[in-house]
Amino acid sequence: MNFLLSNNDYLSILPELFLFSSLNLILIYSVIYCTSPLLDFPILINNISWLSIQTLIIVLLLNINNYCCNITIFNNFLIIDTFGNLIKTFVLISTISIFFMSLNYNKYEFINNFEFPLLVILTILGTVLLISSYDLISMYLALELQSFCSYILSAFKRNSEFSAESGLKYFILGAFSSGFLLFGCSLIYGFTGTTNYEQISLLLIDIDHNYTNNNGIIVGSVFILISFLFKLSAAPFHLWSPDIYEGSPTIITAFFAIVPKIGLLVFFLRLFFDPLYALFISWESVLLIASISSMIIGSFGAIWQIKLKRLLAFSAIGHVGYMLIALCCCSIESIYSLIFYSIIYITMSISSFSLLLIIRRNDNLKRIKYIEDLTIIAKSNPFMGICFAITFFSIAGVPPLAGFFSKMFLFFSAISQSAYFLSIVGVLTSVVSCFYYLRIIQVTYFEQSGQWITLKKVNKETSILLSVSCLILVVFFIHPNLLIISIHNSIINLCI
Amino acid sequence: MLSLLITIPILGILFITIIPEYKVNLIKQVALITSIFTFITSLFLWVLFDNSSSKFQYIEHYSWMSLFNVHFFLGIDGISLFFIILSTFLVFICILNSWLSIKKHQKKYYICFLLMSSFLIVVFSVLDVIIFYIFFESILIPMFLIIGVWGSRTRKLKAAYQFFLYTLIGSLFMLLAIFYMFFETGSTDFQILNSFLFSEEKELLLWLAFFLSFSVKVPMVPVHIWLPEAHVEAPTSGSVILAGILLKMGTYGLLRFSLSLFPYASVYFAPLVFTLSIIAVVYTSLTTLRQIDLKKIIAYSSVAHMAFVTIGIFTFNIYGIEGSLLIMLSHGFISSALFLCVGVLYDRHHTRLIKYYSGLTQVMPLYSFFFVFFSMANLGFPGTSSFAGEFLTLIGSFHTNTTITFLASTGMILGAGYSLWLCNRILFGPITITYITQYNDISFRELAVLTPLLLCTLWMGIYPEVFLEPMHLTISNLLQKI
Repeated sequence: MNFLLSNNDYLSILPELFLFSSLNLILIYSVIYCTSPLLDFPILINNISWLSIQTLIIVLLLNINNYCCNITIFNNFLIIDTFGNLIKTFVLISTISIFFMSLNYNKYEFINNFEFPLLVILTILGTVLLISSYDLISMYLALELQSFCSYILSAFKRNSEFSAESGLKYFILGAFSSGFLLFGCSLIYGFTGTTNYEQISLLLIDIDHNYTNNNGIIVGSVFILISFLFKLSAAPFHLWSPDIYEGSPTIITAFFAIVPKIGLLVFFLRLFFDPLYALFISWESVLLIASISSMIIGSFGAIWQIKLKRLLAFSAIGHVGYMLIALCCCSIESIYSLIFYSIIYITMSISSFSLLLIIRRNDNLKRIKYIEDLTIIAKSNPFMGICFAITFFSIAGVPPLAGFFSKMFLFFSAISQSAYFLSIVGVLTSVVSCFYYLRIIQVTYFEQSGQWITLKKVNKETSILLSVSCLILVVFFIHPNLLIISIHNSIINLCI
Repeated sequence: MLSLLITIPILGILFITIIPEYKVNLIKQVALITSIFTFITSLFLWVLFDNSSSKFQYIEHYSWMSLFNVHFFLGIDGISLFFIILSTFLVFICILNSWLSIKKHQKKYYICFLLMSSFLIVVFSVLDVIIFYIFFESILIPMFLIIGVWGSRTRKLKAAYQFFLYTLIGSLFMLLAIFYMFFETGSTDFQILNSFLFSEEKELLLWLAFFLSFSVKVPMVPVHIWLPEAHVEAPTSGSVILAGILLKMGTYGLLRFSLSLFPYASVYFAPLVFTLSIIAVVYTSLTTLRQIDLKKIIAYSSVAHMAFVTIGIFTFNIYGIEGSLLIMLSHGFISSALFLCVGVLYDRHHTRLIKYYSGLTQVMPLYSFFFVFFSMANLGFPGTSSFAGEFLTLIGSFHTNTTITFLASTGMILGAGYSLWLCNRILFGPITITYITQYNDISFRELAVLTPLLLCTLWMGIYPEVFLEPMHLTISNLLQKI
């Protein structure tokens, strides 16, 4: 084995290196300053948030300008390609938007610990490495980095019982699923003798399905699959998700909903669509069941929810079910529709969570928790009411908003693979889910409360974020080619 | 020309959005002027229309989603011409009618109507199946808001949900069918699909998927439940646009897509359509007799009239189809006018129950004239537009199936029954002073709303050839295929 590293290796992970080193610098800076008695122990959260935004913007620029293409580095540990770069761009953009949302949230919830932005950045580092990992070991390490930071983040609000409960729950169940993942990886290693994706795919290329010695690999891949479904909160493994969505601080909920999913999907695409593709028949049915049950549980479970965050958690389960349709179909169109779906989903989540985070009553500074509380919005802040309507019509998938197109491509890929049953289930559950998205619009617009309640003024950063994401949802219809072609180009690269 | 027509309401919306909410009069004026401009522009389509051609006219082509071979392809023929004019005309009527009756969220109200007029023009002029679907569905958003926000009672929630979910569940199957067609042919262009022949079994399934969507919109009998609810709970202008245009999207879809894309399946399923339509005609006409809500009566009679339309379409001869097109247009005028008449009463007394009204002839003579006229038109009185349409439809169905003609004509008799009885109850008899004490006749604005509808009804009844002329070639061309 060749242990010499070339210049290229360092150049191509320049964004990650920069992210890591600036994380360390920010950490040192904040630790020194916040313990300084001279400055009277300053609260650094705002400062650190802006520094993190700055860092992420630089990383984003570095990532866009990354000229290295389609190479594997560090002895085939990581892969750098245009597909990964595109996904990283979206991950970074969504993280920046999380920071924009958090500025307002930290101020009113009195979150003064500077660790929050640092942990988020560390999670992002894990996600970014996961996107480009090309080996079982690097994949596991990156995934664990991401999950460990998530456990801490969900227990972040130390004085809240809910948050502590959700953190503990997440940790125990997450550790359990990581155990599954590790066991699956070791089974695959035991039966193939290698951890590298490329070598696994070469070994499995002409696998004999009747040969019983392969069972180890099949069992291993199913273990990995289960862990993946758990982390994605797909249906038979979804029970943790509503509790954790509800218990975590809302900004962290937004983070969980928006950022890590797309990284996990890319991990799945890299592992299952390349090395384990030969075992397609064995893991397809697992995904099929997971997809159907997530769609059904996601749509029916949300009907009876009265808390907004739990409703969004169930809606996220439903959306995962739709994404799994694309994974079941396993074609170029389906990868394409998957990436498209997740990008639009991220946009919709950004707008829905920023709405959730900024609505604050003027009298008691409380955030709204229940769906019933939305009655005050259309009267007090009409613009916010319109944003609510646009966002939830889009999540429901009503044309001509962007949410419709994401579902459209998904069903199209399902039909082109003759997955008629899946697409009919998807269509029916999307009608059911329409019901509760419409309920939100109904509560905002149809039933208006008699009393006048003023809302806190929205800060500039969040309002820009909100208006840009709503504008994207509306205007996407006029010129869809922009996004479509850029995704298409990167997918073509992946498939070659 | 068509893209100009689509953009005029959008420009109006952009202009309204920058007007502050408290300048209500300016908002109304801008909305009205925009709708008048749209209407006048759409009349030019008719003036410049070439009657001697069966091809699509005013064709425009824009690249839209080029990767998937979906293009924005606009063009109209004899079938769609009058729907565009009708929709711009009715939007104008609606905006004028809601001048005083809408009291909250005025800005959003007018934006919804202008948005709807723009969407409707796209629906009736686009020649790409996917874009047709997109706009067919898009209309749900403004209509859902119109029913829910500006509706009158608490039952409006149920109505809005029913309207939304019924339509959605039907149309999503159409979406899957469209994908299947795209997957088979590689294109969603109507003209390309038109020249493609699917195998017979596939055609039957695709036809059913399309029919599920259109029959909810028409509405055919088992799925008509949403219509009376939605009509009753919507504000007057909402009911007008719903009855006048949105129902026609279903029949337009049947005529444009089901008939020409799946000729074999259309003939195969014609008995099904006839059966459902006959049930609709007889059953809803009988149901109408026992309603106590004024709007519900008109809503149920709309279902009966739309069933006439579907009978006409599936006769597959030129009389039937032209007759059904005439019924669609005349129903657009007459039922709109009847809803407006009900709205006049509702604006004054805030009730729609028949019980409270009696003897209106003595105190509101002008109103009574309009109400009697439109009731007569509704039952198909000779000289009014619906007579011409129903006459042609019955001739057409006589060629195909005499039993159907017989059963359909019972609908006309029952129609006469409920219309006359309704007039009798609310217009004649003693004045009910116990309930209502103050009366005033229709105002100048309401006169201006009702008179054009009356003139159109008479014009179409006395000389329907003007309306039929642009249709002839298109429909005979359509029938060539079947």
